Amino acid sequence: MIKEQVQLPLHVALTVAMQGIRIRFGRSVVTILGVALGIAFLMAMLAGMALNRGVAGEDRARAEARRMLNFLTVESGSLDGKTASIICTGPLDPFEERLVGQLSAAGLEELRWTALAGTPPPAVSSGAPFRQTYLSGAGDGASALIVMGAGPPPDIVWEPVLAGMRKQLAAFTRAIPASPPGDAHTTIVSLSREPSADERERAAAEKRRAAARQLWVIVISLAVTVIGISNAMLMSVTERFREIGTMKCLGALSSFIRMLFLIESAFVGAVGSVAGCAAGALFAALAYTGIYGLALTTRSAYGQLSSLALYAAAAVAAGMVLSVVAAIYPASVASRMVPANALRSNV
Amino acid sequence: MALSREHHAALFECAPGGERPCVIHAVDVKKIYGAGENQTFALRGATLDVYKGEYLSIMGPSGSGKSTLFNMIGALQKPTDGRVYIDQVDIAHLDHNELAWLRCRKIGYVFQTFNLIQVMTCLENVMLPMSFAGMETDAAREKAVTILKLVGLGHRALHKPAELSGGQQQRCAIARALANSPEIILADEPTANLDQRTGQEMIDLLSHLNKTLNVTVISATHDLKMLQSSHRILWIEDGRIVKSAKPEELDFSSSEFH
Ligand SMILES: Nc1ncnc2c1ncn2[C@@H]1O[C@H](COP(=O)(O)OP(=O)(O)OP(=O)(O)O)[C@@H](O)[C@H]1O
Ligand SMILES: [Mg+2]
Repeated sequence: MIKEQVQLPLHVALTVAMQGIRIRFGRSVVTILGVALGIAFLMAMLAGMALNRGVAGEDRARAEARRMLNFLTVESGSLDGKTASIICTGPLDPFEERLVGQLSAAGLEELRWTALAGTPPPAVSSGAPFRQTYLSGAGDGASALIVMGAGPPPDIVWEPVLAGMRKQLAAFTRAIPASPPGDAHTTIVSLSREPSADERERAAAEKRRAAARQLWVIVISLAVTVIGISNAMLMSVTERFREIGTMKCLGALSSFIRMLFLIESAFVGAVGSVAGCAAGALFAALAYTGIYGLALTTRSAYGQLSSLALYAAAAVAAGMVLSVVAAIYPASVASRMVPANALRSNV
Repeated sequence: MALSREHHAALFECAPGGERPCVIHAVDVKKIYGAGENQTFALRGATLDVYKGEYLSIMGPSGSGKSTLFNMIGALQKPTDGRVYIDQVDIAHLDHNELAWLRCRKIGYVFQTFNLIQVMTCLENVMLPMSFAGMETDAAREKAVTILKLVGLGHRALHKPAELSGGQQQRCAIARALANSPEIILADEPTANLDQRTGQEMIDLLSHLNKTLNVTVISATHDLKMLQSSHRILWIEDGRIVKSAKPEELDFSSSEFH
């Protein structure tokens, strides 16, 4: 006389769930935003990590160039309002390129460029007027002469060049020639140098600290994501206890209600995760563009494309799994609730 | 299940084949909420029979246990003690699946707070129990439209509950209760959230359905004016059924009814 209730086919649950999402659109958007926010945070951290690896070389080059510039100014005094002259022996390495950039931004009155091997000066964004000269005019009134580039040590007659200088100072970014230019009045500076054991030690310690920091940030962002998503999904389920109770009064099976929330949370989770992932990646990209410029950020992103894709997939998967777990658990508790209690709840 | 039915058949006042077949038979139903110091005796042992096709009103002051009794006989909650038989089946022996089937086909629930699914239209609300029963969408829609017309809501079928008046919402809920042609309609204070006139309309509607469809109606109320249509009235006080009467035995002109 009493029979088993029929198990409804999936498409019925699908219809009801999608209808719910559509009609509760405003509420669904809030839930989706909750998920998106959590995943955006996670993805911004992960994408930041990837981009950071990409720009690490740049960071090192900048730091090295800064070190060289400091070293130079220790010898030359402040370069503010003075003239510096670069003698380029061949192609520049990244450190030297950054050094040129930093020199041009150091408040010089003029920066000269003498290309012994025809190497054009690197593009620098701003700073002192950049003037290409010949060797004969390189030293005139300059306070520092900087020799850089991959070419062989310049085999030139130094005296006339040095003679015109305000202060006889020749700095080398690479090896100093066997017979250094000038005489007793000439200061010879080597800007390159091997890091000391102490510095190496400090660099290694800094690297370890950075790794620990990164782990910490990932843990925090995961926690934020988990809490944010659980909260959003939990709210969206608990505020519907009455509806669950009503459906049970009308003959819904617990499995149907679970299915309903599974579909709904999977949909909300998918949309929210994808949106959050895009937003997080965009945010990280914008932040890095602000610090390192568009070209470098793009290059770094291309270089890290595979790990970026992996991170994006992981973030989306995390968002979906979290959403479903966070919704299904309370929904299945609610679906097993005695209907009278579910109906009474007034969340 | 089968065993219990035979075992308990002897208990039935209105046994199968008797003059008045009985749809609900409750024996000494008790319900205690909470434990220890917070124990509330919501039902202290209620025994009642509900005959097929009757309109039964349950009267009682607030807190007397009407809703609790409804939850017990509507299979929405398990009693602490005692037995409830619906169509001679002890519902304590039913599993989840069978309970869902029972709630879906045998009983239609009408609540004081309407409890319509807010995101669905009136029509979809009425179709929902039909789809739970496995009915095809087209057939369900057709039937739902017929039922909505029957309760006088044909013209508002495509509106959401929020766009309906209280009386219209309750009509929709009554239509939904009728969806799978149940034997019993359980209405727990269906008029409490409605004004006097609309409440009377609901009572008239339930009474009309009771007569035309021969569906058994059990309706709780604490409003004496809602009693005229009923065949029988039970009074419940402090968790016990204290009095039973027929409306013709009552003097509706007496002061307590005004
Ligand atoms: N879930 C619950 N937990 C604890 N006590 C409860 C619960 N539900 C009801 N009660 C108590 O049981 C008693 C009967 O409650 P019930 O809701 O059945 O009364 P009622 O007759 O329906 O009242 P009303 O006319 O106000 O709806 C009350 O004292 C109430 O406080
Ligand atoms: Mg009540």
